Parts: sequence; structure tokens; C-alpha cells
Amino acid sequence: MALGIAAVPLSGSAGASSQTKLTFWFWGESDIPGITTWLNQRVALYEKANPNVKVAVVPQSNSTIITSFSLAAQGKTGPDMDTQWATLPTLQPALQGSVTPISNYVPASETKHWLNVNENSYKGQIYAMPLYLLGVPLVWNKQLFKKAGLDPNKAPTTWTAFLADCKALKAHGITPFGMGNQDGYFGAWMFAIYEKQQLNTISQLSQGVATTGAKRTALLKSLTAMYTMFQGLIKAGYVNSNVESLSLNQGWQLFPQKKAAMSFTTDGNVLAWAKTLGAQNVGVGRPPIWGTGKLASTYDATQSSDEFITSWSTNKAATAKFLAFLHTPANMMALYAETGAFPADDRFPLSRVTGTLPKLLDGLDTSGKSVWLENYIPPQIDTNADLPAGQLITSGSGTPAQAAQLWMQQIEKWQLQQPVQFQLFKKLASAS
Amino acid sequence: MTTLTTTSAPTAPRTSRVRRRRAYWPYGYMAPVLMVLGVTFGYSFYQVAHYSFYAGSVGQLVWVGWANYKELFHDPQFIHSMFNNFKLLLTVPIVTTLSLSAALMINTTFRGLRVYRAIIFLPYILPATAMGLSFSYLLQGNGVLDSLLTHLHLSFLIHDWLGSPSWVMFSIGGVIVWQQFGFGVVVFSAALLAVPQETVEAARIDGASWWVVQRRILIPQIRRIIEFFVILQAIIVLSSVFTYVYVLTGGGPAYSSSVMEFYIYQNGFANGSIGIASAGAVVLLGIASMFIALYIWNRTRSSKITKVS
Repeated sequence: MALGIAAVPLSGSAGASSQTKLTFWFWGESDIPGITTWLNQRVALYEKANPNVKVAVVPQSNSTIITSFSLAAQGKTGPDMDTQWATLPTLQPALQGSVTPISNYVPASETKHWLNVNENSYKGQIYAMPLYLLGVPLVWNKQLFKKAGLDPNKAPTTWTAFLADCKALKAHGITPFGMGNQDGYFGAWMFAIYEKQQLNTISQLSQGVATTGAKRTALLKSLTAMYTMFQGLIKAGYVNSNVESLSLNQGWQLFPQKKAAMSFTTDGNVLAWAKTLGAQNVGVGRPPIWGTGKLASTYDATQSSDEFITSWSTNKAATAKFLAFLHTPANMMALYAETGAFPADDRFPLSRVTGTLPKLLDGLDTSGKSVWLENYIPPQIDTNADLPAGQLITSGSGTPAQAAQLWMQQIEKWQLQQPVQFQLFKKLASAS
Repeated sequence: MTTLTTTSAPTAPRTSRVRRRRAYWPYGYMAPVLMVLGVTFGYSFYQVAHYSFYAGSVGQLVWVGWANYKELFHDPQFIHSMFNNFKLLLTVPIVTTLSLSAALMINTTFRGLRVYRAIIFLPYILPATAMGLSFSYLLQGNGVLDSLLTHLHLSFLIHDWLGSPSWVMFSIGGVIVWQQFGFGVVVFSAALLAVPQETVEAARIDGASWWVVQRRILIPQIRRIIEFFVILQAIIVLSSVFTYVYVLTGGGPAYSSSVMEFYIYQNGFANGSIGIASAGAVVLLGIASMFIALYIWNRTRSSKITKVS
């Protein structure tokens, strides 16, 4: 497949004699360490197989990828391909005409192997290509479970079981759950995992944000319920007491330090902590089920970021060919070897994953439909409502009703402040 | 005589013309600076004021008139941020009193004075990121300060200094006092060094005590510097505390430590809502200008009093 793609002569402006230069605004290093090295190696291979193509990789920062691309889109100048956060940060510029659907250039026989494409699809078209999957499992310390008299090999699968485990751990002087929320991300993760569990469809959330009336009231009600559950966890003392003054990363460190028995984290962290604690002492599973919505059974993996072709690129076919080349089984295997991240491709053989924990994590990530709900809210609402609302709960300075009300207030503000984005969001919401 | 008459007659108008021309020279000298200021400050201010009447991001701006200003004063986050700035004004008398006291105490020659002054000034030149990192470890829940309090059997004083909305502004205020203290000491020490020693010596010969010398001679002599420092500190806590908030709390928890600058940053840069961020900047500039006007008024008043006396 790799050779097949590499050997096909390039169409469009890529002639046999003239050289095609593709510019790639790329980011991923802080998500998946090692991915830049992997990409540079792939570029070298591609250029070797296609001497008339040069790919210039321009590293980007995760804090500026949205603004940099917005500026490029205004002038319709910039890269041929770009990395962006999945879903809204990709689909909004797509609806503004800055992104070309990749499914226009890559055949369905290829895209059918890509995982989680639903995160970047609109009206039957796929706008961007996933590279890897990031799962968010529940991780627990088997030794601390044993110390608290719990079955070290049994994950709490229901909320009742989870609370019972927390109670037992706390009774033995062990902090049940270790997280950090100084930056608001613990709250955002609770929203992504547990607000989703109350929904039957993502549309319920989108409609609640885009419209008023009954749908907005339903959103307010479900958010209040979710924050009430969250407050219960905090008030019971099941989360580390300094949760509000530790960032998500700092809070995570409690787990490998054996100061907390459970946490929600990423696949990469689980593997790193397994090296510290011993793989036999670390358990992973789905987050316990609390909600009763149809989405409660979905897992919490996301492609996190994606790659797309810009609408102003004069080398769309050549760009698509290069992007598809990155998905060849050999390159996907190299991605796993270099980064330890699971490729977002169903052709990646599970046999390449060795060890119980990696197999479990890969199994979870590819087990079926996954939804990371944070991807479906506008970035401004994520920053101004999702993050601080969780902080109201963890700091004890607000009630669940106030946290939900903050959402309503910030949704109104966003609609007023970003009228163009609001119209685009309404369009997306009506299609979802 | 005739010659004299003919030559002397036009002298007066020519002289006055030269004088008139000379009166414009200072403006000519100032012109380059005024031009640079006009471009850097004037144009920027015009743009900020202009954007404050629009909603949306650059490239998608929509005229909304005064709506951003109305929104600003209905936005609990902005109101809270403004009140936080006003709360931080309480640090001004604290910094001024502490640094003035320290400057008066070290306003004498003793061994190691230079080293001592350098140590006091050190916090002021520390990079904000290093300071933020150190204080976050020091003040976080179960952090260094809390551990110390536990060891001292003062557990009842333990707090999540940065994570509790009730304490976070005190913590930020404390860090501001700690960092600005050194600057105050240097400013006041320099002012005290400029006070003529004869006045102090004369007072001492007349039998004035150490306290009387400080209260009746030194402090009045550096009054204008104290006034300047107070106004400067007030402007700093109104419009230059972003770094403290950003590195220590990121405005949290739940906006409880947000200040006007942070609000402007978050809306303008993180959200791309340039209109409301610009409206916030105009309001902030307006408030800071009141303090600048107060300072200018006070200076003019004191110079008039000096001239009369």
C-alpha cells in the first residue's frame, strides 16, 4: 500500500519535471511525545519515493493552533495541510470554506479504515484525517485496593460500586481519587465523561447550546444533575483535598506516588505509571457508569487532533496522497513503535501490541463508538463555562445550580460576542 | 541719524518675530517623540476604541455599537475582576508603609548595607515564572506553608491558599507586597540619600530624637516621592498584575482571582472576542487615567504651593 501510494504519479500542479512543495503546519508533540520524529522520518521516506515532492513541516504550538489557522484562513494563504483539534475547531473553519473535505480526494476504500472519523464528519463528508487515538480510562492501584480489602482485579463498573470502593479506601486512610483542577481540566473531564452519559445523542447538547426553550432547559437540568453528582464526590472527601490548587498534571502525579488509589488519565500515562508501579499493580477499565443515556455505553477515546487539506491549497491531490501515505500499515506501526500511541486505523494489528496493559488499553480505544463530549462545545464555552463551572464545585464556592447557570450565562455571551461562529454552530447543530 | 532711524525702526518687529519663532522651537524638538507616541500609543488606542464597538473575531467583525460596554457591566466576571483590582489597592498602603519603614531603618551606614539592599531588591528582579512556580509550591493545599504550619502545631491555620476563593486574593496580594517591597525600599532609600544632611544634623544638634528626625524632617522631605510611589503602585495593581494572576492561579478557581487585565487577555486572546476585550481595555485605561490625573493634579498643586511660599 505504501509503495502503491508513493509510486502513483502526482496529478494537478505536480508534474514529472516540476517540483511540488507541500507545507504542513503540524502539532502533536505535547499530546504524543515522539510524533514529530515519526513525522520527519515519514517525510524523508515519502520524499525519497517521490523525488518531485518536498514536504515542509512547520511545527505549531497547541496554544496557538486555532488562532494561527484563523489568521491564515482570513488571507487564504498558509499551509497546504494543517493540524487542528478535532470536531468543532475543524468543522467550524470547514463550514467557512477554509477546509476541503479529505473524502473528496481519498477513496472510501481507504477512509473506511480510519477510526473515529465521526468526530470530523459533516453531511456525509469527512473533513479531516485522524492519526492516533487517546483513550481516557479509569486507572486503579491494585496494591492500595488490596490494602483496603477490595478485590484488586475488579474495577468498579457502576457508580454505586465506585462510591463503595471510595468509602472503603477512605476508611483505610487512602485518598480514593487523585486529580487536579487548578486549570479546570478535572471538571472538564467530568463533563466529557458524565454529561455524555446522560445524553441519548450529541444533538441534545448541540441543540441545548444553539437554541433556547425546552432544549436549553433540558441542558440546564442535566448539567445540574451532573454537577450534583460531582459535588457529592468532593463533599464525601473522595478526591484529594488539594484538588483545586493542583493542575491536572500535578494531580495525576499522586497516582504513581501511591498517594491516590484511582484516577482518570490518558493511555500514555497509564503505561508510564506502570513502569513506576509495576504493570501487575495497575488496573485499567472504563470509567464507572453513572448516567442512563444511550451514550453512557460509549467509551471516552478521541483522536484529539486531526490533519486536513486547506481550501486554498493548489496541491490538494498531492496533499491527500501524502496524508493517506501516513496511514499505511507500515507507517502506523512505526507510529506505535515511536510514540506508544495507538494508531487511529483498524488495519493496525493488535498483535503488535505486547503486554497486558497496552492490549487492554488498545482494546478499550477500539471497542466501538467513542465520544469525547468536550470536542462538541465551542472552544470559548469550554474555556469560559466548562472549566470554571467545575472549579465552582471543587473549590466549594458554588452550588451545582450556579455551575449550570454559569454555562447558560456564557452561552448567551458567546452568542453575542461571536455571531458568525454562532451561526455556523447552529448549522452544525441542526445537522447533528 | 537717518541711518540709525532706518536701521533701528524694523528691529522691534524682527525681534518679536524671532521670539515668536523661538516659542515654537520646543514643539519642533518634541515633534519626533510626539510622532512616535502618536503612532505607537495614539494609533493603538484608536484601534482599541474602534474595536470596542464590534463583536466577533478579526476578519468577522460585526458592528454592535455600545453593546460591548453594556455587556461588560452586566458580566459578573468583569464586575468581579474589577472589584479584585480594587481589593488589590489595599496592598498599596501596606507596601508603602513596609518599604518606607525599611528604608528609614537602613538609612544609615552599617557593615553589609549594600548586600542587605541587594537582598531586599532581589524579589523585584525575579522572573515571574520562577516566582509563580515557587509560590504555587509554597501556597498550594498541603504545600510547603501548610506543612510548616502542621509542624508548628498550627493546623487550624491551614488553608488551600490558592485553591480557596476566600483566600486566593489574600495570597496574590501577599505575593505582590513581597515583590514590590524591594522596589519601594530602593526608591525610598534613593530619596533619603538626596535629603541634605545639614538639615538632619541641625535637628539633631537641636536635640531632636531619632523618631522626630524621621517624622518631622525625613518623611516630609521625601513626601513627593512617597506620593509618586503611591500613585505608581495604585496604577500597577490596577493595570500590571496580570503576571501574578496568570502564573499563580490562571484567574481561578472559577474566576475568583480574575482581574481586569486577565479578563481582557482571556476574551481577546483565548476567546478571540476582540470587541469585549477592547471595551474592557478602554474601561481599564479610563480608571488608570484617573490615578494619573490625580498624580498630575497633586504635582501641579504642590509646585504652586512651593512657588507661593
